[in-house]
Amino acid sequence: MANVELSNINKTFGAVETIPDLTLSVPDGSFTVLVGPSGCGKSTLLRMVAGLEEPSRGKISIGGRDVTHEEPSKRGISMVFQSYALFPHMTVEQNIDFGLRLSKTPPEERQKRVDAAAEILHLKPLLKRKPAALSGGQRQRVAIGRSIVRNPDVFLFDEPLSNLDAALRNQMRVELADLHERLKSTMIYVTHDQVEAMTLADQIVVMNAGRIEQVGAPMELYNRPQTLFVAGFIGSPRMNLITGEAAAKEGAKTIGVRPEHIELGERGAWKGRLRFAEHLGNETIAYIDSELGELIIRINGDHKMKPGEVLQFQFLQEHIHRFDESGRRIQ
Amino acid sequence: MTYARLVPQLARLAILLIVVTFVLGPLTVAVFGGFKTNGELLASPFGLPSHWNTEFYSALLNDPGFWKYLGNSLIISLSTVVLTLIVAAAAAYVFAQIRFFGSRMMMSYLLAGLVFPFATAILPLFIKVRDFGLLDSYWAVILPQTAFGLSLSILLFKTFFEQLPKELFEAAYVEGCGYIRFFWRFTLPLSTPILATVGVFAFVQSWNNFLLPLVVINSRDLFTWPLGMMQFRGEFLVEWNRVLAFITLTILPAVVFFVAAQKYIVAGLTGGAVKG
Amino acid sequence: MTSAASIHNRKSRSIFADLMSSKGQAVLLLLPPALLLFTLFVALPLFDAAYYSLFKWNGYGTPTDFVGLDNFRQVLNHGIFWESVRNTLIVLAVSLFIQLPLALGLALMIYEKTPANTLFRLVFFLPYILAEIASGLIWSFVFDGNSGVASAIFKSLGMDPVFILADRHWAFLAITLVVVWKYFGFHMMIFVAALQSVPKELLEAARLEGAKRWEVVRFVQVPLIGAAIGVSAFFAVVGSLQLFDVVIPLTNGGPSNSTHTIVTYLYSFGLTRNRIGFGSAVGVLLFLAAVGVSIFYQYQTNRRSK
Repeated sequence: MANVELSNINKTFGAVETIPDLTLSVPDGSFTVLVGPSGCGKSTLLRMVAGLEEPSRGKISIGGRDVTHEEPSKRGISMVFQSYALFPHMTVEQNIDFGLRLSKTPPEERQKRVDAAAEILHLKPLLKRKPAALSGGQRQRVAIGRSIVRNPDVFLFDEPLSNLDAALRNQMRVELADLHERLKSTMIYVTHDQVEAMTLADQIVVMNAGRIEQVGAPMELYNRPQTLFVAGFIGSPRMNLITGEAAAKEGAKTIGVRPEHIELGERGAWKGRLRFAEHLGNETIAYIDSELGELIIRINGDHKMKPGEVLQFQFLQEHIHRFDESGRRIQ
Repeated sequence: MTYARLVPQLARLAILLIVVTFVLGPLTVAVFGGFKTNGELLASPFGLPSHWNTEFYSALLNDPGFWKYLGNSLIISLSTVVLTLIVAAAAAYVFAQIRFFGSRMMMSYLLAGLVFPFATAILPLFIKVRDFGLLDSYWAVILPQTAFGLSLSILLFKTFFEQLPKELFEAAYVEGCGYIRFFWRFTLPLSTPILATVGVFAFVQSWNNFLLPLVVINSRDLFTWPLGMMQFRGEFLVEWNRVLAFITLTILPAVVFFVAAQKYIVAGLTGGAVKG
Repeated sequence: MTSAASIHNRKSRSIFADLMSSKGQAVLLLLPPALLLFTLFVALPLFDAAYYSLFKWNGYGTPTDFVGLDNFRQVLNHGIFWESVRNTLIVLAVSLFIQLPLALGLALMIYEKTPANTLFRLVFFLPYILAEIASGLIWSFVFDGNSGVASAIFKSLGMDPVFILADRHWAFLAITLVVVWKYFGFHMMIFVAALQSVPKELLEAARLEGAKRWEVVRFVQVPLIGAAIGVSAFFAVVGSLQLFDVVIPLTNGGPSNSTHTIVTYLYSFGLTRNRIGFGSAVGVLLFLAAVGVSIFYQYQTNRRSK
C-alpha cells in the first residue's frame, strides 16, 4: 500500500501545455477520483502516474519512492483501461496471469492468485474463454482481475465504466466500491461523470484546463464548492448561478443556489413563470423563467403544476454560495 | 520516454539508413550513370559524374522511337484502367447490392483468379488471342490484362460498396430509383477513393507488364516501353550509360506517379490484404 | 390439373417478371461483361492448357497428335525443369525466411505514424512499384563484372572481378537478392497496416504487466497480426511461383540454363520453341502447385480462426 505524491508536474505536448503546474497528494488507501470535462488533463495525469507518459517537469513518488523515471511495471501500480485492453488471442486465464508469466512466477503461486481473483470477480466459469465470447461487464471484470493478481500498491482506472450501459454501470460501481473495501489499496479513478465521482470517492479532485479546481471529500465539494467551476460541475441538476442585482445584494459577483435550496411559497421574494415540469414521482423538477433568469427548482414529491403558471419562490439563506469576480468562494 | 533509450534508437536509425542505401543505391547509380561517359562509368560506377553529360538523355528524348514506346504503354495502360473500372465496378455492384440465385457461385468463380499465376495459361492465351485475330494489336494486351486484374478489382470494389450505408439505397429505391440508375448516380460518385485505388493498381500493373506484351506483340511500332527497353539493351550492349539513361527516363514517371498516388496504392494493399 | 398448370404458369411468369424488373436488368447488364472477359481470357485458357498438354503441337492448325501424358513425362524427366523447380523453391525459401522477417522487423521499426517513418516507408516501398524489367536491368549493371558496382567493390578489395551473373554458383543468389530488394517493401507495408490496427492500449497494458519491448512483439504484436503474416506469406509463395520478369534481364535463365524459374523455363522451352503442348504441361503443373498452396492456405486460416 502506498500514497501517491505529485509535485509541480508539468506536461507539454509540442507547443500545448496540457498541465501547467500541478501538485496533488493521494493518501494511502484512499479512493481518489479525478473528475472534469474531457480534455481537462485528467487522463494524462493518470497516465503519468502509470508511467505511460513522462512529465515534462516535476516529480512523482509512490509510497515515498521517486518513480518519475521508473518503468511502469516497476512502480507497483496496475491499470484498467477504458477499452479494457484485453488480449484478444488469449483466454481469460492467460489474460489474467500474463504479467505473472512474464515475471516467471512459479505455477502454483500463479494458480493460487488467479483462483483468488476469479473467486472475487465471479470469473471461475469463464477462465477458458476468449474475450470475444464475453459480455461487456464480464470483460470489465477480467480487466480488473488482471490488475488484482499483481497485488499492486495502487490501482489506476481510466474511465472504466464508460463503455457499459446504464444498468451495468450502476452494478459495477457497487462492485468497485466493494473491491476497495476488501482490498483497502490506494485507487485513483478517472471519470467525466460526476455521479461516479460522488458515489465512489472518498477524495474527489476536480480538474479544469490542466489545473486542480478543488480537492476534497464528496460532500465537502457539494456543500462548499470553492470555485464557480466546481459549483457548476458537481451536482445534478446543476446549481443555479445568478449574477446581477440579486448577487450584489449578497455582496457577491455571482451567487449559487442548488435546485433543492429554493422554496416555493406565497411569501417568496421572487417571481417566475413555469416553463416545464418533470414529474419523476419522488420529486419534481421545475424549469422556471424568472426575473433572475432561467432557474431550476427541485421539490420533493409530486406537485401538480401547469406550464405558464406563475410561481413565487425564495432562496434558503444559509445555502447561498457567494463568489467574487474571479469566481472564488467568498468565505 | 523511458522505453526508448539512446543506444537502441541509434541502432534503429543505423539499420534504417543501411536499408535506405540498399534500396536507393542502385537507383542513384542508374540516374547518375546516364550522365557519365562510358569510360567514366567503367572507372567509377558510383559517385557523382565528374561532368554532367546530358547528351545521352537528350538523345533519347529526341528519339521518336522512345516516345512511341511510352505512347503505346500509355494508351494500353489508360484503356486497361478505364475498362477495368467499368467492368469490375459493375460486377462488384451486382454482388454487393443484389441477391439472386447463383450470385455466390459466380462470385467465387470470378475471385478464383486471385489464386493462380498469370503464367500458367500464357500459352493457350497466346493461341486464343491469335485465334481471335487480335495478335499484334493493343487489344491483345488490354483485354487479357483486364481479365486477369478483375478478381482483385472486384474484391476491392465489393468490399467498399458493402460499406456504403444501406439506407442510401433504400431511400433512393423508395423514391423510385432503380438499381442501374442508383449505380451511376450514387454508388460511383460516392466511390472515388476506391476508383482511384483500383485505377492506380491497374495502371501500375499494366505499365510494368512485360510477359504479356512480350508474347502477343511482335511489331516494333506497338512495343510497350518494357519491350522497347529490352530491344534497346540489345542494341547498346556495351553502352551501359545509354541503357541507364533509358531506364532512368522510364522510371522517373513511375516514381513521380507513385509519390502522387501512394495514398491509394497503400489503401489498395491494405484493403486487399485485410480481406484477401 | 388446371390448378397445377396455373401454378406452373405463375411461377414461370414471375421469373420472367424478375428478369424484366430493375433488379433483373441490372444483373443482366452489369454482370456479363466481367463474366465474359474472365471466361474468355482466364478460365478458358486454363482448360485449354489442360487439353493442349495432352498433344504434341507446334501451335499451328489444330492439335491432332495426341500423346497422352507424354509431355508430362518429358517435363518430369528434364533435368533443367528440376533445376528450375529447385531455383523456384530457393526463391520461395528466401522470400519466406529472409524477406518476411526482414519486412516484419522493419515494419516494427517504422509502423508508428511520424513524418520520418512515413518517408522511410515510401522509400522502402518504392522498388515494388518499379517495373520488374527495369529493376532487373539496373541490377544487372550493378552485378556487371566489367563496369558494374560489384566489380568496383571487388577491385577495391584487391580481388579479381567476378562475373556474378555468369557464375553458376552466384547467379541465382544474385537473383534472390534482387527479389528481396524488389518485394520486401510490399510485405513491410502489409505488416505496417496490420500493426497500426492493433489498439495502442494493448501494448500499454503489456508494458504495465512488465513486458519488455521484445516480449510485447512476441506475445502481443506478432500474434495479433497473424492474419496479415498469413496473407503476406501467401503472396510471397504465389509470387515466387510466377517469378519471370526479373530473371530475364538479369540472366535470361543462363549461364547454361542454371537460373531458370518455372516460368522462364516454360517460356524458353515451351513458347520460344513453339512447343505448345509441352509448355502447357508445365503450365498445368504450375497451376496444380498454385492450387495446392491455396488449399493449404485456406486450411491453415480455417484452423487458425477456430
